[in-house]
Amino acid sequence: MSRRTARNRSNPDRYDPVAIALHWVIGVGILTLIAMGLAMTHLALAPMTKFQLYQLHKSIGVTVLIAVLLRVPWRLTHRPPSLPTAMPPLERRAAEGAHGLLYALMLAIPLTGWALVSVSPFNLPTVLYGMVPWPHLPVLADLPNKAAVEPAVKFIHGKLAWVLAALVTLHAGAALRHHFVLRDGVLHRMLPFGRRQAQEPRPEEPRS
Amino acid sequence: MKFRYLLAALPLAAAPLLAAAPATAADWAVDTAKSRLGFSGVQTGAPFQGGFGKWSAEIAFDPAHPEAGHAQVTIDLASARSGDPQRDGALPQTDWFNVKQFPEARFEATGFVAKGGNAYEAPGKLTIRGIAKDVVLPFTLEITGDKAEAKGHLNLVRTGFGVGQGVWATGEWVALDVGVDVDLVATKSGS
Repeated sequence: MSRRTARNRSNPDRYDPVAIALHWVIGVGILTLIAMGLAMTHLALAPMTKFQLYQLHKSIGVTVLIAVLLRVPWRLTHRPPSLPTAMPPLERRAAEGAHGLLYALMLAIPLTGWALVSVSPFNLPTVLYGMVPWPHLPVLADLPNKAAVEPAVKFIHGKLAWVLAALVTLHAGAALRHHFVLRDGVLHRMLPFGRRQAQEPRPEEPRS
Repeated sequence: MKFRYLLAALPLAAAPLLAAAPATAADWAVDTAKSRLGFSGVQTGAPFQGGFGKWSAEIAFDPAHPEAGHAQVTIDLASARSGDPQRDGALPQTDWFNVKQFPEARFEATGFVAKGGNAYEAPGKLTIRGIAKDVVLPFTLEITGDKAEAKGHLNLVRTGFGVGQGVWATGEWVALDVGVDVDLVATKSGS
């Protein structure tokens, strides 16, 4: 973790605009991808609809992956606003752990999806939004035994997605609890259209 | 580059045919820029059309002796375009045309059959992915002076030639029936 982390200067109680933008792009993307993924694998769809859903799922998935790859270095170099001082240490650790896991899944799920496309028996090129060609992952695309590898990758991608769905639910639930139950202004730190929060004096102790 | 080699090799390949052709059969030079060699299919219920950008044809045809004529069309399969980057990216791959192993398709007609009026048939051998099948290409022919235009359509079952392997070998995603459209514009080059 870099020591040269800059805090949002204009308003240290809020995330900076870049962090907020990336958070919501990724958040909306994840919710869309989960809904699509469930539809693709559980609904009896017309072949055309199913085919197009898969292609769009790949395009949005790569978009989210790119956003995550921008977000991680940004998060490492831009210190987020502090957590409320009143927050119990256990909750603090739980929040940090959950966020760490969220980041891990935000990387692992699109990467396993990309791997899944690369070992798919369909051997279809990926063209983002029907316009931008996107390569397969090296090595995987040239495996001689794709048929044997594909089910395992599919299983991992799908199961991790369920874990992420559970974590996102927890994450949103926690945000709503902070907002409506604890009323500590935590949600406002990440809302796109910020109102100044001055419900508590700024804490001394920064989040790591 | 590959295409140049192909062009250089064509006369060699055609030489024995030309040598065997009777003197009465006039040669026709096909203007590929004005001609079209197209294909059509249906993917997940949606019809699509495409065409080949690189191909060449050697044609000898005399309306007075259609049975003595012959034609050879060589198609660069890597030049297939159908207006969809994903589909066009898939077509050259091993499941489809497998252009690394089979860069060309070939149609070789020996002897044309007059069906009355401007209607003809070209019975011949079509080779795709190394699989040769006998097909009959019906076409119409309009000759004005030393210009000619031939239009034909051929229905094929793609899996008969192994086009579409693995998950593509059924009609679930891409229909098995495909069409080939031929529209040749040629000038008599004498013989």
